[in-house]
Amino acid sequence: MARHIHVLKVHHLTLSFPKRKDPNPRPVLDDVDFGIRDGEILGLIGNSGSGKTMTSLAIAGLLPEGAAITGGSIKFRGQDLLTMKPRDRRKMLGSEIGMIFQEPSTALDPLMKIGKNLDEVLVAHGVTDPNERREKILSTMKTVGFDDPAAIYGRYPHQLSGGQRQRVLIAGAALLAPKLLICDEPTSSLDTVTTVQILDLLKSLCRKLQMTILFISHDLSAVRNFCDRVMVMKDGKIIDKDTTSDILTNPKNAYTAELLTNAKLDTRMLGIERAHVDYSSSPVLTAKGIEAGYSDKIFGKGSDNKVLKGVDLEIYPHEILGLIGSSGCGKTTLIRSLLGLLPHTGTASVVGRRIGAVFQDPVSCLNPAHTVKWHLNEALRVAERKLSREERMSRISAALSEAGLNDEFLGRKPHQLSGGQRQRVAIAMCLITNPGIIIADEPFSSLDASSSAEILKLLTDINRERGTSFLLVTHNIHIIRQIAPRVVVMDDGKICESGLTTEVLSSPKASATVRLLDAETKLHGA
Amino acid sequence: MNKNVDTARAKRFYTVGIILLAVVVAAFLISLFWTPYDPYATDAASKLLPPSSAHPFGTDNFGRDVLSRVMCAAKFTVFISVSGVAIALFLGTLTGLPAGYFGGFADRSIMLVNNSIMCFPGILLALVAVAVFGASMYNVVWALGLVFAPTFARVYRAGTIEVKEYDYITHARVMGVNPVRIMLLHILPNLVPQLLPATVIGLANMTLFESGMSYLGLGVQPPDASFGKMLAESQAYIRVAPWLVIFPSMMLVFYILGLYFISEGMRVSLTKGGGS
Repeated sequence: MARHIHVLKVHHLTLSFPKRKDPNPRPVLDDVDFGIRDGEILGLIGNSGSGKTMTSLAIAGLLPEGAAITGGSIKFRGQDLLTMKPRDRRKMLGSEIGMIFQEPSTALDPLMKIGKNLDEVLVAHGVTDPNERREKILSTMKTVGFDDPAAIYGRYPHQLSGGQRQRVLIAGAALLAPKLLICDEPTSSLDTVTTVQILDLLKSLCRKLQMTILFISHDLSAVRNFCDRVMVMKDGKIIDKDTTSDILTNPKNAYTAELLTNAKLDTRMLGIERAHVDYSSSPVLTAKGIEAGYSDKIFGKGSDNKVLKGVDLEIYPHEILGLIGSSGCGKTTLIRSLLGLLPHTGTASVVGRRIGAVFQDPVSCLNPAHTVKWHLNEALRVAERKLSREERMSRISAALSEAGLNDEFLGRKPHQLSGGQRQRVAIAMCLITNPGIIIADEPFSSLDASSSAEILKLLTDINRERGTSFLLVTHNIHIIRQIAPRVVVMDDGKICESGLTTEVLSSPKASATVRLLDAETKLHGA
Repeated sequence: MNKNVDTARAKRFYTVGIILLAVVVAAFLISLFWTPYDPYATDAASKLLPPSSAHPFGTDNFGRDVLSRVMCAAKFTVFISVSGVAIALFLGTLTGLPAGYFGGFADRSIMLVNNSIMCFPGILLALVAVAVFGASMYNVVWALGLVFAPTFARVYRAGTIEVKEYDYITHARVMGVNPVRIMLLHILPNLVPQLLPATVIGLANMTLFESGMSYLGLGVQPPDASFGKMLAESQAYIRVAPWLVIFPSMMLVFYILGLYFISEGMRVSLTKGGGS
């Protein structure tokens, strides 16, 4: 076959979701036109809803029902994918075009061992000899960085970490050595250290297997050291296209520049300053010797897995305390213990008012069966029972407007809200109970850059105006650096380092901190 | 493409189901105010008359109008199935929600009782209960309610276990909402998609049970009519007066099939099949 400069050429692609009532809706993809050069890593950046995932699904032929391509063509090595028979196209999927998705926890069948999961790929593509399949799987697993592939081969997905699962998925894609690998936000659910590892792996695979990669992400700065070229998408259009270094250093498009600012979450631009905390006052939250874990002990036998091994923590009034650490270090277990959701030993006491909580996932943080008003009313009911109807309504409106939403949202149900808006409602639910401290568990990680910036601004405003303390758990060190005066680093169930943010981050003492900082530098630049 | 096919299928199921069910429900509603003849009035002069303009469904061996009796039977059948399911739903809520929500010991003890009930064939258990406490309509209602409760409890429990892991329930717990309120106001509304088809199927199954029991003489007592009872009474005359069998069984089939079609439609439209 003749060598094409462009391994994939998307030509004026237009896609929409026509309905019977509305046969010509606003297109989801509007005249998308680009080519992926052989062997390059092309980044596709955009906020949620910009159409980047639709583009990738159109290429892979996995468009959801109801989507209609109304114009344009997709050519893969000269062949028009859109006019191909579904059968031929399916054959092409996997062997020629591979795909990796965002959520490694749901992409593997939980009832199948890792080996079997990968085996299915080869069976589907007609490798009949079981020994050959096993050989190939083990060698591919070695390629993706498993030192002991035979051990992983026999494990179930739930026994692996998120990073390991993502490696397995990459192995699954690499098994068939596709020409083009589409990665749809492969790292957005991973922590910084793992993200760097996965990106390094993809890059080396790209060289080894002569693959071309289309890398989709909402984080412009994450593609810094990874992609050769970057495209920026907005409202279904590609609005900017350039080499990575040009885009990052010298963005020509105003929107790209805005994305770049948001991606950095530059708090000085948002008008946020670091809080001033009086450390001589008595702390609002004191935790001493917290231990928690999962024990498989039955009648005194079996192992005892301690996830937390004696954690001491103090949070002062007006403070934003940053809590960082790689996945699996016990951050989540710690906050669940602090919130009283897990059985634990040790003491955690809160002075005065109650604890509020904001969780990571804006999709499941609101009850789908009820309206925004019901949520706020329910939160208020718990805090203060004796209120008249008018007082309730005014408190609800006040909390909602403080969280940056207006009364129009009262009657809406969660599915009518965007991720950022849901997170705002969750924050309003905290505010209405007037908490002394809010524990925020990765409140930004599922949001795109612009929404993150807005939520960050909101949280710091609350901190300033109400004097609410925050325990901010995140893997984004950049945010911590700018808004948290004090930081705590966790590793393996213990606090391995704590102190003023400036000191900890400029001269880290614990190896875990060094690892986190290294990954951060690699990912986002100095 | 799947979705459109599914919606169309669901629509067909609903249409057929609602038409079938409407026949029985209409008979039930009208019977509350009016029947062509007194369903209990015997008339020796007009025994076993075939369908005619005076008696559209014919008359039975006592000369009672079959149409009137079928309408009256619809009343008892609908009443028994609806109130039986209501009892089962209530008991299911009472046991399934806490079992799923609290887990551990509470779960195991509640489900032990539930599973023990499920070990026995339902109809047998209901028959024993009615045989011990006497055959009357009210005994049939609560016996069937009790027998059906574990099925609903399991639906509640499974749904609760799934829903309670969501952040919004965690959040409610963090806020300090009391468990009863969490279960009833935060969890229960989210179980409706699972509960609706289960309820409709429950109605159909309960009707089958009730007909079986009435057929055996342990359900609705004479002179009241129920579809099962009417079938039992008419089987001696099946050769000379087939209309005695045809019309009650037709109504029974309409009711049960209608409910099944509706629940099938719900299953197709409420559960998300393939991708979205």
